[in-house]
Amino acid sequence: MDPLFMAYSYFRRRKYKEAVDVCTQILERNPYDQAAWHLKTRALTNQVYVDEVEVDEEGLAEILMDDNVIANVSRPGTSLRGPAVKETSGPTQGVRPTSQGGRPLSGYVRPGTQSGRPGTMEQAIRTPRTAHTARPVTSASGRFVRLGTASMLSTPDGPFINIARINFSKYASRPTLAKGLFEYIFHHENDVRNALELAALATEACQYSDWWWKVALAKCYFRLGMYRDAEKQLRSALKSDEVIDAYLHLAKVYCRLDQPLAAIEVYTQGLKQFPGETTLLTGIARIYEGLGKMEEGVKYYKDVLKSDNMNVEAIACIATNHFYTDQPEMALKFYRRLLQMGVYNAELFNNLGLCCFYAQQYDMTLTCFMRALSLAEDDVVIGDVWFNIGHVALGICDIKLAYQCFRLALSHNNDHAEAYNNLGVLEMKKNHVEAARSFFQASFVMAPHLYEPHYNFAILADQLGDFQSSYLSAKRAVETFPDHVDSKELLKQLKEHFSLL
Amino acid sequence: MSLFKTRDWWSRSVGEEEEFDQGCLCLGNIDNDTNGLDKIIIGSFQGILRIYNPNPSNANSVEDVILEHAFKQPILQLEVGKFSSASESQKLAILHPRKLAVFNVSVLSGTVEHGSQYQLSLLYEHNLQRTAFNFCYGPFGGVKGKDFICVQSMDGTVSIFEQESFAFTRFLPGALLPGPIRYMPRLDSFVTATSSWKVEAYRYQVLAVASETAGREETQNIKSGKKIAVDWSFNIGEQALDLVYVDYPPAQPFIIVLGEHTVFHLTDNGMLKTAKKLEYDPSCVLPYASLRENKVNYLVGAHTKSLLVYEDTTLKWMAKTEFVPVQLRIGNFSGLKAGIVGLSDSGHLEVMYLGTDPSVFTPPQVEAREINFAAMEAEMAKLMKHVKAKSTNSDPTSWLLDDMITPSVKPEDDLSIYVHVNPNLDEVSMASGMDYQDEDGVPSTTVRIQMKSRLPLENVKLEITCPWPLGCTQSEFMIQRIDPGSPSETFVAVFQRYKGLPSHLYVHISGTFTSAAGGRCVIVTKANLPTKLFLKPVFPVKNAVHKITIDTNRPPVNLNDIFPDMLGQNEGGQGSALGFQFLGGGPVVSLLASKTSQRYRLQSDQLEAIWLPLRELVGRLNNHLKKGQGDFRVSFDGALPLQEYFELIDFHFDLRQSNLQYRELLSQRAAQFRTIQKRLLTRFKDKTPAPLQNLDTLLEGTYRQILALADAVEENSQAERLAANNLSSATYLLNILLKLWLDMSDEEFKVLEATLSPIVSSSEDQGWEETVDASITHLLRTVMAKSAKDQAVNPSPLTPPEDTSKVKKHIALFCDRLGKGARLVEGLKENKEKVVKKHSSSSLVEQSEIIEDKTPVDEMLKGKHKSGQKKKRDKTLGLPQRDQPFSENSLLMKEEDDYKAKSRLKSLVPDLDVLTKDMDDMDDNSSRTNDEDDSHEIVYSL
Repeated sequence: MDPLFMAYSYFRRRKYKEAVDVCTQILERNPYDQAAWHLKTRALTNQVYVDEVEVDEEGLAEILMDDNVIANVSRPGTSLRGPAVKETSGPTQGVRPTSQGGRPLSGYVRPGTQSGRPGTMEQAIRTPRTAHTARPVTSASGRFVRLGTASMLSTPDGPFINIARINFSKYASRPTLAKGLFEYIFHHENDVRNALELAALATEACQYSDWWWKVALAKCYFRLGMYRDAEKQLRSALKSDEVIDAYLHLAKVYCRLDQPLAAIEVYTQGLKQFPGETTLLTGIARIYEGLGKMEEGVKYYKDVLKSDNMNVEAIACIATNHFYTDQPEMALKFYRRLLQMGVYNAELFNNLGLCCFYAQQYDMTLTCFMRALSLAEDDVVIGDVWFNIGHVALGICDIKLAYQCFRLALSHNNDHAEAYNNLGVLEMKKNHVEAARSFFQASFVMAPHLYEPHYNFAILADQLGDFQSSYLSAKRAVETFPDHVDSKELLKQLKEHFSLL
Repeated sequence: MSLFKTRDWWSRSVGEEEEFDQGCLCLGNIDNDTNGLDKIIIGSFQGILRIYNPNPSNANSVEDVILEHAFKQPILQLEVGKFSSASESQKLAILHPRKLAVFNVSVLSGTVEHGSQYQLSLLYEHNLQRTAFNFCYGPFGGVKGKDFICVQSMDGTVSIFEQESFAFTRFLPGALLPGPIRYMPRLDSFVTATSSWKVEAYRYQVLAVASETAGREETQNIKSGKKIAVDWSFNIGEQALDLVYVDYPPAQPFIIVLGEHTVFHLTDNGMLKTAKKLEYDPSCVLPYASLRENKVNYLVGAHTKSLLVYEDTTLKWMAKTEFVPVQLRIGNFSGLKAGIVGLSDSGHLEVMYLGTDPSVFTPPQVEAREINFAAMEAEMAKLMKHVKAKSTNSDPTSWLLDDMITPSVKPEDDLSIYVHVNPNLDEVSMASGMDYQDEDGVPSTTVRIQMKSRLPLENVKLEITCPWPLGCTQSEFMIQRIDPGSPSETFVAVFQRYKGLPSHLYVHISGTFTSAAGGRCVIVTKANLPTKLFLKPVFPVKNAVHKITIDTNRPPVNLNDIFPDMLGQNEGGQGSALGFQFLGGGPVVSLLASKTSQRYRLQSDQLEAIWLPLRELVGRLNNHLKKGQGDFRVSFDGALPLQEYFELIDFHFDLRQSNLQYRELLSQRAAQFRTIQKRLLTRFKDKTPAPLQNLDTLLEGTYRQILALADAVEENSQAERLAANNLSSATYLLNILLKLWLDMSDEEFKVLEATLSPIVSSSEDQGWEETVDASITHLLRTVMAKSAKDQAVNPSPLTPPEDTSKVKKHIALFCDRLGKGARLVEGLKENKEKVVKKHSSSSLVEQSEIIEDKTPVDEMLKGKHKSGQKKKRDKTLGLPQRDQPFSENSLLMKEEDDYKAKSRLKSLVPDLDVLTKDMDDMDDNSSRTNDEDDSHEIVYSL
């Protein structure tokens, strides 16, 4: 049996370790075997391959050193940065909670859903962090370095290719080797600078006719934060060829440039060529969701389901939307489908439990939560589940149970701001003013994006006669949730009171 | 993620440790049976060929095998086609790495049904010059009723075999690794995927005529060849896993290319029809029908163990499979039409169909509970009662703890640490790495740490923490194993490493280990160090700035008796005066015993230095005198050294303030640095280069400033640590004085220590000043409140104070209240009033002149910092030399070095005056001062 054939067969069956081993043996005998060399780079790359479109974590440095911002205050509905605009469709903040960045909560966690944009470096560093909300200092150091070091493990005796000593122009002119080598440098070594050099030489060597090299250049530019150059390359690629990846990358560039409407336009253009392409549809839906236009978002998610009825993200997002628009029965149906499809985790059971409760199927509620608790693996999730059980307890007026549940939530996740807020309300009901006050304080210090603790604190301070803090707090509440009637009412009252004085 | 799963119709596990890949599965009516049913033919890399006739009703699995044959060479690919020139019936072509063979499978019918016998007979074979990769077949050149074979080798050459005869061999241009290859009958061309990630098509005609020289005999063993023009090529941008030619008339035939992440549909002349990005890793593809016009249905097998059915780009069906198929086929069997045949790479062969059986996933049962409401309620009530009973034990005043239950101490630990400190100093000092010098050498003492365990423990980590100026030879030990029988012993020498005054003498020793239950456990003990370690006997000094006098109710003792080990040069003296000096040229503390009265006096130039000798004295006196008769009491009746204490607070606070200012400056500079960086970055990134306008110089300058500031912060924090340490010593001193003065019980002393905490931490947000202030305020408002109106509790947030006047005021008030008989613990009867006496040194202050601070404003920060350093240096300079009488010179120096502190003292006086308004008995105060003066008349003699 020819060893190269065997290695190729292993590679095709995604047994990359075996493929690498066989290739290493071949290369030991004949270091100049190009085919084996190529196969080994491919196998090493595929071991760590992550689709570049999916990688979308903005680091601290990228946000703060961002020199692409056109206007600090954008027109309403055209930016993903500020809080969602008023005239959004779908439920208000009072019904559907928001994430830290003031975006409505999504039904599906993906990179970037929790991102808010802190104003200054100091503020960004000081944001309370758990492992779950931690933002890498720069995207070049956080995730990518980790991937890089993981790959080093597979080659204990040093890297396979010494990139520093490669003559790029020689490789660039060989189309068969160059593409594999580029992917290796980009994905396996994470050496974007050298990858860029290779891509630039290669695209020159093929007289700027190969769209693949243009997309590769754009990927490098994107990593390096040169979004406009990336855009140029992608546009040029799309001029000659129709490529899904180019559309996706271009839209990603526009999202990073905070031009969601342009991104949607790119997606729609792509859809004309590739009707029903789920990645494009999902992209549009995500942007609409981020903009707070829930109706449109759900419309596109439904389109996704038309061409791929197994899409977990679409099902989850539609279910979340149904839940928050007061249709727990519909949400229940979608979540049940997820369950039937084999999604089996604490989050799903937690959502099922909540839907059951609101759909008045009380017999299932606690069972679902019990399963959620038994499945939950990390403290943050357990904390959330207990918080929701606390909600159910509040719903059946079992204050004692609710109290214990919120405290359990806190015991698992110290930073559970919502639980602090609810405990504060319970303490307020018990007339433990001091305790209530400190709970509210803890809550809004930890999560300034929630309007509830601000409002509750304002009410409490108002009752105690501390009008100044009441006023300040009510103002903060209105800042985070401009449509909150009670806060505005309180603010009006206080203003009248002050003017009387 | 799928709703359904495939239904198993017939399945076999083939062979042991045999490997299969794409090409190893083939379906066809190979025995040319009249019923036209398909047989499954598989061949493994181990060279074993098997032919199955699947029939689920067969009880014995062996009966399904109609033929099995072992070849010596691996089987790479199998195809069924019309490969024989003699007949148009189906023949089997087998590709080995160096051989292509075509076989005929024939049936010899027996007498009974089971008796049919299958035979494999070789029709012809071709030996290959190059290692083969795969082959495709078809009516090349448009021949009728025949299939020719095109073998692709590992190096990318194609060899055409026109049945029994070899036709020609050609190089495909730019080949590195071969890809899947197919024949397209409509255009009479081959389509293949190359390793430059393109799909390319070559016409058969072009290949055929591209011989180098006409008339030369065609051979497989070619070394070079003409470059063959490609018919069309399409750039797919990823490696192709599989490639299939789809021809379902009347639709235009086209090609489906399965890439690593995408499925492409190309027309047969190389145009993109459509594409679909896949969110999983596919393994194989198989088109099976066109059910609607212009649409094609195909199956995709995925590495996520699922089988997906697409109609063009729409997902129609998804089913879970038991294995990852390397190849899929569709065939007709008896009893099942269009069954899906899948083969995994480990040899799992299955004929399946799509059913609506859900892929039932039974979640594991959560432990079920029997529900008996009455019993549960009773249990709940019982449990709640239990919780309540427990929680009332803890502090009821604190709401946070109202249902917290503190864990009780474990009765027995797995590991116990015994520490024994050698009371004598080491004969040969082990001290090393000091940052100061002492003429008598630095002594050290040895601490013996013994660890005993009940169970065998592994990897016990032992850590020794010494209070700041002290150090030890090794602070961390890793003990591999401790057995119950043999306790481990560790020796550590402790000595004074840095220059400074220790604030306490406890060495903390902690052992960390993993308990049998798997948790990490820590055991902490502390050991008291002997005073000799950092005090050395010197001759006593007559005069000093600070004096503390303590009273006892016993006649004075000969000091030589109670300090037998610390006499030094004083040995043989009268035993009424001793002197100690801190190592490294520290301050001298003199201890004088009155001959006539029952008093002892401690004096030194630094207040904080008195603390340790005082503690030692009180301890030793207690030991010495309690032995004989009980009821020995030590008391303190002098003035509390509050002013000097406040001076230390001020000094510490100043350093904290300047630390803050430095940080502020540092963050400004850092922000500036980033701004410049950003500007530079935009300059550099700009396509049209603009002049830098000295931004680089500015960057460099700011960078240097940042470095300088960082150094300054570092120095400042060093000074702050020293100040904190001194403050800690002084607080200890003040606490013990208060205790002696008021004759406090241990319980009260605990409260006092907790309030006026001697632990000065260097926290930025919660500094010593504000925490002490907060706790004293709390005490003043609660247990020490005079009237109900004071009792309003409205704690303000803990913020760093502007200055120290508030905390000083509160400390003074606190001492005053204590003096008036307030108790720190509720429920005790009021003490007899005592009066805070102002220290006489305040009168001294007024005499000294104040020198104006003339440093310019912009250098203020630096100046401040310098003064801190200066003070430190001056202190050591200004120390009275041993047995050197006070000269005018040294007096001058004293005045100079104290001016700063005194100016602060002066500024402090008005505050105290405000405070004394509270004191109702000002007159009493003055009378008491007289008493104090009286006490001065007692004669001390050296």
